[in-house]
Amino acid sequence: MSHLFEHNGAKGQGYSQPAPVLPASEITLPSGLSRKALPRWPRLSEPEMVRHYTWLSKRNFGIDTGFYPLGSCTMKHNPRVNEVIAQIPGIADIHPHQPEHHLQGLLSIFHEMQYMLEVCAGMDQVTLQPVAGAQGEFTAVRCIQEYFRLRGEDQRTKVIVPDSAHGTNPASAAMCGFEIVEIPSRTDGRIDLDALRAVADDTIAVMMITNPNTLGLFEEDILEASSIVHGVGGQMYYDGANFNAILGITSPGLMGFDAVHFNLHKTFSQPHGGGGPGSGPIGVKQHLAQFLPGPLVGKRTANEDELHAAVDENWYHWYQPTHSIGKVQQWHGNAGAIIRCWAYYRRYGRGLRTMSEHAVLNANYLRHAIHKATKEAGVDSLVVDGAEAKVAKHEFTLSLAPAKEAHGISAMDVAKGLLDMGYMAPTVYFPLVVPECMMVEPTETESKDTLDTFATDFAEVLQVDAETLHAAPVTTPVRRVDEVYAARNLCLRHPYDDE
Amino acid sequence: MVDQLPNLGREAEMLAAMGMTSIEELFADIPSEVRMKGDLPLPPPQSEEEILSDARRLLGANVALGERVSFLGAGLYRNYVPASVFQLVTRGEFLTSYTPYQPEVSQGMLQAMWEFQTLISELVGLPIANLSLYDGSTAAAEALTCSVRVHTRKATQKDTVYVSELTPPDRLSVMQNYCQGAEIKIKFLRHNDDGTLDMDSVSEAIGSCGVYVEQPNPLGLLDGGVTQLKEILGEHTALIVAVQPVSLGLVEAPGHYGADIVVGEGQPLGSPITGGGPIYGIFACSKPYLRLMPGRIVGRSIDVDGNTAYCLTLSTREQHIRRHRATSNICTNETLIALMGAMHMALLGPEGLYDLAVRNMTACIMGKQKLQAVDGVHIPHSSGDHFNEFAIELPGTAKDCLEYLDSVGIVGGFDLSLWYPERTNWMLVTFTDQTQAKHIDLLIEHLSGWVSTLEVAA
Ligand SMILES: Cc1ncc(COP(=O)(O)O)c(C=O)c1O
Repeated sequence: MSHLFEHNGAKGQGYSQPAPVLPASEITLPSGLSRKALPRWPRLSEPEMVRHYTWLSKRNFGIDTGFYPLGSCTMKHNPRVNEVIAQIPGIADIHPHQPEHHLQGLLSIFHEMQYMLEVCAGMDQVTLQPVAGAQGEFTAVRCIQEYFRLRGEDQRTKVIVPDSAHGTNPASAAMCGFEIVEIPSRTDGRIDLDALRAVADDTIAVMMITNPNTLGLFEEDILEASSIVHGVGGQMYYDGANFNAILGITSPGLMGFDAVHFNLHKTFSQPHGGGGPGSGPIGVKQHLAQFLPGPLVGKRTANEDELHAAVDENWYHWYQPTHSIGKVQQWHGNAGAIIRCWAYYRRYGRGLRTMSEHAVLNANYLRHAIHKATKEAGVDSLVVDGAEAKVAKHEFTLSLAPAKEAHGISAMDVAKGLLDMGYMAPTVYFPLVVPECMMVEPTETESKDTLDTFATDFAEVLQVDAETLHAAPVTTPVRRVDEVYAARNLCLRHPYDDE
Repeated sequence: MVDQLPNLGREAEMLAAMGMTSIEELFADIPSEVRMKGDLPLPPPQSEEEILSDARRLLGANVALGERVSFLGAGLYRNYVPASVFQLVTRGEFLTSYTPYQPEVSQGMLQAMWEFQTLISELVGLPIANLSLYDGSTAAAEALTCSVRVHTRKATQKDTVYVSELTPPDRLSVMQNYCQGAEIKIKFLRHNDDGTLDMDSVSEAIGSCGVYVEQPNPLGLLDGGVTQLKEILGEHTALIVAVQPVSLGLVEAPGHYGADIVVGEGQPLGSPITGGGPIYGIFACSKPYLRLMPGRIVGRSIDVDGNTAYCLTLSTREQHIRRHRATSNICTNETLIALMGAMHMALLGPEGLYDLAVRNMTACIMGKQKLQAVDGVHIPHSSGDHFNEFAIELPGTAKDCLEYLDSVGIVGGFDLSLWYPERTNWMLVTFTDQTQAKHIDLLIEHLSGWVSTLEVAA
């Protein structure tokens, strides 16, 4: 066990710098502003620093390490050429305030991405500014809020979310100042239209929902839900976290939605980097377009004196929507992530549908394989589908409630057992509506062989006795971590000797 | 696209195992009314080589600042990120991991973020730091809403915060969007003609929930007056200070002069400017704010064997537990960029940070000395000390000046009329560790050249 702050040997630094342009003695500071003591940072040479972070990386599990079926997170392979592209100085070393004629390449890629997302989502206008899914939700709900304010419909103070919704949905709507109305799902996990009708009135501003829903099931009644909400003058918001299931097959626009966010770090493979960065563009129908955060990218035919800087026959330019809500990030969003996702989409082009087909194929195949393997191993009574459905979409839920009942084996125990088998565990205890839930999303980038092996190993974990599973994992860098201890004995930074 | 789809060609076999014959059966639950007709109107698929070549052509058409002499900053600062940072951060175990929900197999990132929290905590002089927000503007906005959550009960100016009138409009706009839902009133602190904060206007903020200022301020000025704010405001108003983190190699840490929350654009530590994102927002605070602060936090704990282990903690503030009562909606943040920051800080060490700050500040001093000597150019806040940048007043519009400089291959700075519309002749010129003496000489030469064209015209 070592950490960064143990490295405090040499006085020097791991990175020597060129001399300053003037001696430090030229520096003056206002009184009281001179720093008295430098931060107690560690002192490492480059080899020590490289070894420290390499050691840490070996104590971390990524998609590159192994199968990562983390439901709702779409952990697909991240092509490496995208990292190469993101280091090109024309993206890494550009400033958002440079004039348009310095940024025609960037603007043309932004324009192409706006268009691509518009046609995939069936929306009229996309902005790339929001930097994560949650920020996309917040931005779209803000736009809808302004739309209603302009129409004088101030009585619309409520946002409907199903009880199976991701936590960011209610959190984002509440941040905009809306009251949250949570409606129960049916026992099969799908939206309860009667419950929706019961709360739908002219105080509703928005309904937020994802489809396929967080159980991985397609909401077959989505058009009816849309018409109930529209019938009382509300707007429909599509949480695009599950977009990987439907590209080229259906779209939020066809389902009657007015606004949508995309999680580019899921569907379009921006690497999630252990927690971020992401990118959360939103798309809206025409009536909401004037409220989007600006600037957006437009194009017109380039004129003669612009041609030297143009990348094609067009001139790409920024413009402000007329009733813009303003900004949600100070610059132009996560431009570096947009570039990577552009490179990813270009792999498929009009064939994006194949990507979604394989995502759904893999999920259903894995669900089938798990049921088959648990049956063959005689442990099929310990696990049931989280929801009844003939087919799932890109992910599916399992409930370990029977295992819990029979042997006291929880979803968390099974998750830890899977870690010992060399896998990342599926998402556990989400959505909240499935007891002892395990949410499995293989993505399209896993081979049949990986899926087969995982299914067999899953059944093997279910055969392990409860005591052993409670003690799992045993092969990981540390064993089960005490989260209660962490919360009761808060240690949020390195305790220096004098503390 | 075969490259990314291992099961291409194995569809029939997989379907057969499920008793199906076509992919279409997997989509039987999607009603025909919502089906997309025809192909997506998009170009055909491309190979890796074709994509790379298009990327090189399109991004190559952008003007990268390294190809020019540049004095554009205004919140993002060109720096040099050591090579080992890029090499290490693209290790797949870091790059391709998700949020560390399973701590046993995520110790690497968790520990790296706990170390990041310590590095930031030491840098800004406050005990607590989270592991990043989206950027400096959202960190500032979340600091304002956090100050209201903590203080509004006892505040005499309820739901009210004060921010410097110099706050750039784009940053202010983010604050307004984040604050409007909680019906928070944003009022303004005035500045004196020399750029320093007007202390009379600070006393108007007494009894409010929070006060937001930047050090250096948006015009690069270091303001000693900020060290007196806490005494004026008292314990029931949060003092929020936004920093350029590199400046803290020379400038006192705000936590040491009473700041309750420190935020900032982390970018100058560890990240290229990347068109403004992904970068990372710093958020640090003192203990009274801990349970109402936004964002993820790593705690040091133990495993069942009593060994040191790290995990996410204090999650009961967050959206996945608290839902609409969460302190913020943030889920995905900027962890990987914060990791780059941690690596850069680790390589610099305390002395390296000092050296980096000296390089930035002396470049700015040299710029000021030389610009002061240019006829027709006036430096409005010249009596103060600046870090990275300062405003200059020109004998014509900044817009014309920037166009002229651009025509000779210089990115001259930032047109301040975009922030302050009446300041049509003001330009913000920025100097960083990447600025060399010869760059400044070139700026002086061509700026003088521009001024003389005006004189001829007049
Ligand atoms: C269903 C769903 N909605 C929203 C989000 C929030 O997205 P982000 O983490 O990008 O903010 C997520 C991601 O975790 C999700 O799974």
